[in-house]
Amino acid sequence: MIKRKLKCWLAVLLVAVTSTSRAEIEIVITDWLNDARPIAVVPFAWQGTSAQPPFDMSAIIAADLRRSGRFDPMAFNEMPQTPTHHSDVDLDMWKKKGIEAVVVGKVQETSVGQYTVSYALIDVFKSKQVLEGGELITNNDYLMLNRVGRTTRPSFRFYTHQVADNIYQALTGERGAFATRIAYVTVDRSVKKSFQLFIADSDGYDPKRLFSSEEAIMSPTWAPDGRSLAYVSFENGRSEIYHQKIYTGERNLIAAFPGINSAPVFSPDGNKLALTLSKDGNPEIYILDLQTRRYKRMTNSPYSIETEPEWSPDGQSLLFTSDRGGRPQLYRVPITGGRPERVTFSGEYNASGNFTPDGKSLILVNRTNGVYHIAKQDIASGDMQILTDTHLDESPSLAPNGSMVIYATIHRGRQVLAAVSADGRFKIKLPATRGEVRAPAWSPYLVQ
Amino acid sequence: MSIKQLGKSLILTLPALFMVACSTTNDGAEDSQQNTETSTETTVETPVDTTPQETEADRLERINAETRAQRTVYFEFDDSTVSTSSQDLLKAHAWFLSKNPGISVVVEGHCDERGTPEYNLALGERRGKSVKDVLISYGVNASQVRVVSYGEEKPANPAHTESAWSKNRRAVLDYEG
Repeated sequence: MIKRKLKCWLAVLLVAVTSTSRAEIEIVITDWLNDARPIAVVPFAWQGTSAQPPFDMSAIIAADLRRSGRFDPMAFNEMPQTPTHHSDVDLDMWKKKGIEAVVVGKVQETSVGQYTVSYALIDVFKSKQVLEGGELITNNDYLMLNRVGRTTRPSFRFYTHQVADNIYQALTGERGAFATRIAYVTVDRSVKKSFQLFIADSDGYDPKRLFSSEEAIMSPTWAPDGRSLAYVSFENGRSEIYHQKIYTGERNLIAAFPGINSAPVFSPDGNKLALTLSKDGNPEIYILDLQTRRYKRMTNSPYSIETEPEWSPDGQSLLFTSDRGGRPQLYRVPITGGRPERVTFSGEYNASGNFTPDGKSLILVNRTNGVYHIAKQDIASGDMQILTDTHLDESPSLAPNGSMVIYATIHRGRQVLAAVSADGRFKIKLPATRGEVRAPAWSPYLVQ
Repeated sequence: MSIKQLGKSLILTLPALFMVACSTTNDGAEDSQQNTETSTETTVETPVDTTPQETEADRLERINAETRAQRTVYFEFDDSTVSTSSQDLLKAHAWFLSKNPGISVVVEGHCDERGTPEYNLALGERRGKSVKDVLISYGVNASQVRVVSYGEEKPANPAHTESAWSKNRRAVLDYEG
């Protein structure tokens, strides 16, 4: 297949904005791929007391799969049939349409607000019957997935993302990351509390405000259990680090030393927080043990800036930004201590480093000839690939499966969020309905 | 208005000028005597000079206050060096602070939006410290100066343009109390 990138300037709106939702972020696919795999998500059957299910489950699944950049779900009006059970799927009919896989399903309301969902993923290139010893035998090889699950009214939409995760994993072999959330900061200078910290579903749906302030909010970061966030707040006139539990609202001051208190990030086990403090003279990296409240200083470079710590996936080393060589570059130091080793050499400025989940690559902000883009560097070879073509890109954050990077950029004179696939081939913009958006942070996996 | 009154009013303003006034008013009195002997009648009168008299100290205070009304110094892109053109401004603030050790100042360090927000928070602090170092070099006590960095979070102009950026790369002196 010829891999050719198509520019699609006509926005494809994917967020289903219902009357009850208050979606502050829309999703606009700007660059797509014509090698995205053709699939079909047939509308699910509905059996219940109301005329409609709480949400159109198949539409949400199709939107998730499209937003991954890997799939091109067929439009409803082009479907050759609309089966709701796998036994009714005519494999040849779909094969002739060029479709590789078909999703069918049914939602039943078992009691008020309780639902049973059955769904199947069908590989149309398998056959339903095989010739064995001269006999035609029915087999189920064509069923890539055949599942029954249960959910409730409040969890219905998030459960739908889990169904999409299962389908994505069956089709790609990689775990899906649709049942996740994004944290971000909005800035709307027309309101008194201009700075607001939100979390929303990975498709921008159902934004929940966690904190609002007249002063800046920076650097939100998720605890690995997905139930709390640390961030920087200027509510007392300077940078301080807070830790807030999402579902109880409990909020604790973590660090308010003289100087800057910046760039918190939880260790993979959630027991420690790496952060930047300038209490001892200039910005250095520290590790705070959240149980003992003890700080361990990780860097000692009195004339340079050290900031933006990031844990390696194994928790055994820290990546950080330092301008000890004159310009910001990424360095790595074992958590046991020792001499930091420089890891980036391409371009005049490399900062905001993130490890991919496999620990083999870095996602970072690169400046070359004054232009800031999100880039990916292979750690072993040092090869760097620019992923984005947007303007003044910053704050990259990876989906927990490493498939997509969300970041902040300037688009038509406003700061917005955007996302790019980790191979740089698929691009999305996520403009807010008003104000500006910055500091995105993709959650870890939220369900096991 | 008598000479005595003139002298009194000068005493009230400044003793140094009074000395000068005494010697010259005597000469002035002799001149007016001579004038009365001319054919046409003329009168020279000397009103009290009520123009506020500014001392050198007052003049310096005034100039200093005028200079100190400017509280912002600007920086080059990705740089925290205080420019030579900002030195006079900081010298004026340093002169004031060293004369008023009870007064303290917050130096706010700011950046433009280019580059990462976290690195810029550190760069804003470095700019603030550069300004603090200059103030100290002009005799200010370090305890009078506190540095707060806002990074790129508090732009003077929130537009995403080159001209906004040049106004956002700054340090602002904010007097406390």
